[in-house]
This record gives sequence, C-alpha cells and structure tokens, in this order.
Amino acid sequence: MSPRSSRARNVFEPLDRDAVAEIWNSRFAIPESVFSGYNFFRKARSIWAISDSELPGLSYEAIGMRIMNCKDRPWKPTTCALQVFGPYAEKNTMHLQAASARLFMEGKTQEVDAVTAEQCESGYVVVFYRGDVLGCGLYSHGKLVSQIPKERRLPGKEGEDIS
Amino acid sequence: MDFLDRYRDIVPDWEAFRAVQFRPLISTARINTLKIGRDVLLERLAEQGLDCRPFQWYPLGLKLDVESPGKLLETLLGFIHIQEELSMVPPLLLDPQPGERILDLCASPGSKTTQISAMMENRGLVIANEPSLARVAALRSNCERLGAMNVAITRYDGRNFPRGLFHRVLVDAPCSAEGRERRGAGVIARGSCQRSLDLQALQIGLLKSALRLTVPGGVVVYSTCTYSPEENEMVVQAALDAEESSGAHLEKVKTPGLRECPGLEEWKATIFSPQMRFAARYYPHINDTGGFFVAKIVKS
Ligand SMILES: C[S@@+](CC[C@H](N)C(=O)[O-])C[C@H]1O[C@@H](n2cnc3c(N)ncnc32)[C@H](O)[C@@H]1O
Repeated sequence: MSPRSSRARNVFEPLDRDAVAEIWNSRFAIPESVFSGYNFFRKARSIWAISDSELPGLSYEAIGMRIMNCKDRPWKPTTCALQVFGPYAEKNTMHLQAASARLFMEGKTQEVDAVTAEQCESGYVVVFYRGDVLGCGLYSHGKLVSQIPKERRLPGKEGEDIS
Repeated sequence: MDFLDRYRDIVPDWEAFRAVQFRPLISTARINTLKIGRDVLLERLAEQGLDCRPFQWYPLGLKLDVESPGKLLETLLGFIHIQEELSMVPPLLLDPQPGERILDLCASPGSKTTQISAMMENRGLVIANEPSLARVAALRSNCERLGAMNVAITRYDGRNFPRGLFHRVLVDAPCSAEGRERRGAGVIARGSCQRSLDLQALQIGLLKSALRLTVPGGVVVYSTCTYSPEENEMVVQAALDAEESSGAHLEKVKTPGLRECPGLEEWKATIFSPQMRFAARYYPHINDTGGFFVAKIVKS
C-alpha cells in the first residue's frame, strides 16, 4: 500500500478502484459496486476519493475527499467518508441511543453493552443514530472511543468520560 | 458622514438604507441536498422547536433564528450549511449542470463551491481555487462535511490560472465587503475609494482570466458583497471591453422573489455600456438581506 517513492514525493497517484473497494468490503461488508462512481488517489499515507470524471492537468491541493489513513494499522476511515459509504455497511456497525449518541458527538469515550456491540469486532466501526451515520468510532472490549474530529463535535458538558 | 455617503445618489430610499445598517441580520442556512432531503430536514428542525422559515425565493434557503447555528447537530453532520442569503444567488445564476466542468476561481470557505456541487448532484467536476493556504483549510473542511465528492482544490493566483476549459466559471471576488455591515459594524469604517481602486485591478485580472478559461457559449458569473461601482460595474466594463474582439455580453439577472436594482449606467465621469442594467444590485433595506452585486456574462 505504501511505496516509499510516492510518500517522499508527496504527489497524488491514481489507485486501483478494486483494491480500495476490497479493503472497505472486508472490514465493513460494503458492496464493491458502491465505489464504482469514484476514482481513488493516494498521497503520502492518505487515500482520497473523487467522483468519476477526467481531471485536467493541474497542481492539486486536494482531490475530492480524504477517505482513509494508512499510517497506522489497522487503516482508519475518516468520519466524512463513513458518512458517504457507511450507510451501506453490513458489519462493524453500531446503533446508539440518544444519550450515548450525544456523548459520542461530544468526542467522549463510553462503555457500550453487548447488544449494541453485537455486530462489532475490535477496531473501527460505523456509528449510527436514528439511521444517520454520526461517524467513526474505535471499539474494543466493551468500550467505544469517539473519533469525531474536534471541529465537528457538539459542545460538551464539563466532566469525565462515562466509562 | 461616512464612506457610504458617496452612494447617496444611487441608492433608492436613502434613509431606509442608512437605518437598516443598524439592524443585525438573523442567521441563514442552506439545506444540503447531497446529504438530506428538504422535507426530512424541515421536519427534524421543527421537532426540536427551532425557529426556522424557508425563504420565499429559494426552497433550500432557511432563516434560522437560533443562538449558535454552527453547533446544531444538523450543521455538524452536514445536513445544512450556514450561508448568507444572497450568497446563494450566484450559483443559481451560474446554473451548473450535472456532468459539466466548473471553475470556482475564488472559492474559500466554499459556501458557493458546495452549493454548486449539490446542484450537480456530485457529478462532473468542480475545481475550487483558493491561493491562501490558511483559507484552504476551511474550504476543505466544508467540502468534506457537506459530502461534496466532485471537488478538487487548487491554489493558483486566479489571474494566472494556467489552463481550462470550463463550461462555467464563478468569480466571487475579494472585495471591500461594504454589504456585510449588518453582520458586524466596522466594515464601512475601513472602506475608501482608494481601497476599492486597489482591489479593482485584482478584480479585473480575475474576471479577464475567467473569460479566457471559459468555452465559447459558456457562462461567467461575477459577484461581490460591496456597493462600490469601482469594484462592480467598472470591473465588468473593463472585462467586456477587453473581450470585445471575441465578444461577450451580459444576460439579465432576475431571481423571482427577490427585488433587484439594475446595474448603473454611469458613475462619476464614466458611462457604462447600456447592457450594464442587466447586472443586479441588491440593497439591504429592499430584501432585508446584506448588500450584493452580481453580473452574468455569456461568452460568444
Ligand atoms: C469573497 S471570498 C470567496 C467566498 C466564497 N466564494 C464562498 O462563497 O464561500 C474571496 C476569496 O478570494 C480569495 N483571493 C484573494 N486573492 C485571490 C487571487 N488572486 N486569486 C484567487 N482568489 C483570491 C480570498 O482569499 C478569498 O478567500
């Protein structure tokens, strides 16, 4: 996934669509057809997706949306990408109730019961509330750590994480 | 007596214009159809008892009288975007079609970029150009939050944008922002004719560049949030003059439900082309908005 050359040059390199679709399919069971309308690029250790169309020869600062980061293992999906592709996920999804959804949006860590986490293996999960994807969570051993970026969080009440 | 006084002869109902500067605007937002349907969104806001009223003239625009609209869950999840009412006009005039190639030459923070992307249903390509590195962050963040998937960002000086061609180009130019006074006092105090003239050179360069990058028959929309004719009609006139050999003309700006005033036919010693009346001036006391200028140019 990460030949040194491109990382060093810091440019956008086209990526094979099937390879990206397969990675997402193996973690989230998202049908590969969901990715068919997009082209993918890698820059350093991030992967980007843009609607399928021809790109003129320009110097780009961003190409579509940053959808995943491959810096660490396992790879980490971005919250904004889960909001686009997450609705099609069939595993590693978690549906929260109002109070826990709020904590999640405040960026907090919380305990989740076995029923809520029924479809989840340890690792990154798609977190839902009322049918909408809230974003990316990190689940392990009954704990859910919100990965909502700082600027997307609800203002929280002072106090400790509920864990 | 302040800088606005020089507009006394061009603004209709001067007293009302002066009086409205002291009345703050309430927040407005645009429904992001890339992520949610209008009816579902309106239902969600109503459920929370929020004071929200759709615009008369644009079904996706909302007056949202709430304390911090930026912190609503609906904003954080990208279902709505906080955007000035008249800022929603230029993309509608640009009228981008799904599948086309569009250039937004002065893009950050991307309110119009993302509206264009929504109008294209994420199909085709929008190049969002913004030279300022500091401002690119906000542009990227808004595109990502709103789920705009057909946007690529470049960082050229818009005057030297290297190559095209685009079906439509938006030039939402850097300007003296006199029309934003109702958002916070002080804008007017910083205005001056000299400041407008300094900006004019940049604005003319940007508009000429836009015309160069547009396909024959394509559309360029030029907009500012300022009253200064130096930054509006004079810029459009200069670009039309330069385009004379190849040809470009103005198309009438008319948004049903909003009241436009025509572009000026003269200012100080300068006489503009008669088609300048097809451009539109929006004054804050007429539609209860900010102030705005917009012109729609069709390249022959
Ligand atoms: C009025 S703001 C654009 C607002 C934006 N269109 C929106 O709707 O969110 C003008 C932008 O032009 C940018 N700008 C300044 N000089 C420029 C240049 N030479 N070429 C292109 N853009 C420039 C500014 O940094 C600023 O972000």
